[in-house]
Amino acid sequence: MKKLVVAASLAALMAVLATAAWGSTRGSNKVAAPANAGSQLVKCGKTRSIGLMAPFTGPAASIGINQVHWANFYKNSYNRTHKTKIKFVNEDTMLGSANGTAEAVKGAQALGSNSAVLGAVGPAGSNEVKATTGALKGAGLGFVSGSATNTQITLDGTRTGYFFRTVPPDSSQSKSVSAYITGKLKLKNVYIVDDQEAYSTGLADEVQAQLKAKGVTVGRDGVSQQQSDFTAIINKIPRSAQLVYLPWQLPPKGQAFGQQMKGLGRGSTKLMGSDGLFDPLFSKLGSNVYDSFFPVNPSDKRVAAFKKIHKGTELFGAPSYVATQVVAGAIDRACKNGTASRAEVRAQLKKTNIPASTSLLGLPVQFNKNGDMVKKPFGIYHSVKGVFVRVA
Amino acid sequence: MNWSLFFGELVSGLTLGSIYALIALGYTMVYGILKLLNFAHGDVYMVGAFVGFFVLQWLGGALSPAVTGWLVVAIMFVVGMLACGLLGVGIERFAYRPLRNAPRIAPLISALGVSIFLQNSALLLWGPQFRSYDTFDLVGVKSYHIGNNFFISNLQILTIAVSIGLTIVLALVVSRTRTGKAMRATSFDRDAAEMMGISIDRVISFTFFLGSALAAAGGIMFGLVFGQIFSLMGFTAGLKGFTAAVVGGIGSIPGAVLGGFLIGLTEAFATGYLPGGSVYANLYVFALLIGMFLIRPSGLLGSPVIQKV
Repeated sequence: MKKLVVAASLAALMAVLATAAWGSTRGSNKVAAPANAGSQLVKCGKTRSIGLMAPFTGPAASIGINQVHWANFYKNSYNRTHKTKIKFVNEDTMLGSANGTAEAVKGAQALGSNSAVLGAVGPAGSNEVKATTGALKGAGLGFVSGSATNTQITLDGTRTGYFFRTVPPDSSQSKSVSAYITGKLKLKNVYIVDDQEAYSTGLADEVQAQLKAKGVTVGRDGVSQQQSDFTAIINKIPRSAQLVYLPWQLPPKGQAFGQQMKGLGRGSTKLMGSDGLFDPLFSKLGSNVYDSFFPVNPSDKRVAAFKKIHKGTELFGAPSYVATQVVAGAIDRACKNGTASRAEVRAQLKKTNIPASTSLLGLPVQFNKNGDMVKKPFGIYHSVKGVFVRVA
Repeated sequence: MNWSLFFGELVSGLTLGSIYALIALGYTMVYGILKLLNFAHGDVYMVGAFVGFFVLQWLGGALSPAVTGWLVVAIMFVVGMLACGLLGVGIERFAYRPLRNAPRIAPLISALGVSIFLQNSALLLWGPQFRSYDTFDLVGVKSYHIGNNFFISNLQILTIAVSIGLTIVLALVVSRTRTGKAMRATSFDRDAAEMMGISIDRVISFTFFLGSALAAAGGIMFGLVFGQIFSLMGFTAGLKGFTAAVVGGIGSIPGAVLGGFLIGLTEAFATGYLPGGSVYANLYVFALLIGMFLIRPSGLLGSPVIQKV
């Protein structure tokens, strides 16, 4: 009888914990900004400060550093060609670390309390955007991300007028991905593994729904972002699955998954990542690897100049170049009379208009009322000899 | 019944369990001798993984190793185990020995301090980014299959075999050598052992050496099988190793191995079969720990302690 009571108590405890864990992934946080948020005027001076939130270190450092390089690439070219100068106030968000989004929130608070900062670039992850909204919005700061693609973060109304992005949303990415899987690859059996983060589950939901609507058999599972052992979940993936879709943020995790797939004799199964895995760590897994990625004009002269300086081919951070360009442009316009407030910078962010001819993305950069770009296509890439080559 | 999934999870569970078992052995030996929960043990495992990684780099890296891949692996194990063995001895000498006669809470806090010190030192020295062993390039991972259902890779075979082999060696050391006899005597009654002429300090140092060397082997095996290591990898692994030691019966060497395999199998089968298992496998692992405490507080192979009044 005693053992029965113990077993029943354990079952109840587990049910409560599982419910709590499930519940914790749901819900949203509405954040109200004070009526006068960011209305304080500051002298613009010769040097203007922009907050730069990125994963300088941590599991996502490989893509974070690339973003930082691109942002600095814009800053340096701006400083060479303008009388006024810009400088970054750097905040390391440590995306994907064991601390969750705590570092990003700390960074956002620091930027908010620094009166010299008039606008911010970043953060990189959609979860980080959600977590930092309170601090940034409370301080009246407008922020522009070069990689946060979760569809809902611009649609839920929580950060409208404060948040903008220079990448298309996942609704666009999911359409490109599902169209390629069914149209070009003509696959009938796909398995999706998300990493439980807002970005990942949102994109996975959309791709799953679109593939199912096209008659594809779709399996679905999730892993924790802290996980390194994927063998148990790989065993669950049916051998009939022709492609495993990984909408993840951390390239080292994508690399580990692919290596463990090979180790279990599943090396011929196609793998497709999302923009978060657009990295050599993932492309070098082999010719079975595909990825989707933001629009970037590869023939732009600035791409060649960047590659010359950084000896690399990674374009992940290119939208962060554009994000920096957007923030710097808004500050310049707001500072025309020598003073500016964060509210004025936000108003100028809304009016951004970079024509296609001068845009690194190869398309005009204008924002709709939600903060999304008006034009938003996504590209599909295939790994050829370890390098991603655009195929659609 | 999906036998392919069943055998797959069985092999995954045994592989993971092998690593947990090696960590659990260190916990159980130190507890057996000193009645101390050495919470820094998981971080010694992390240091072992990094030493293995740096040895690999020193020997030319996975792409162009100076000697054959398997010899590199052997050298990684030898150097990693020696280095961590010495680290364990150093930790005992400076963090625990001065507190040997202090109230039991003092060395426990000291152990937590050492754990945080090692974690942060690793973050400072090696950064928070992931490091890849690139095992594919180093030794070429092959998978073998029997029929259509049973798949196992050469690295999984290596991990299970090394774990069992090291456990057998440890059991022989403890049961067949003079030092092992001294360890057993110290574990049974430290004061009496000292009166019989056993050097307690030396026995304790040797115990830390052995436990830490085994943890290093576990860390290197993790890097080889799962590909990547990072500065904070010791925390969860240490917690699982500790859980394995408790489930098996802390202080019992066979219990630690049994506990390790049980935790590994629970994790793998939870991932494979239970709802939400792939994300919340740890929920099931620690539910097992709580259940074990409630039903059999001394663990599977542990013996109840009789309190003298």
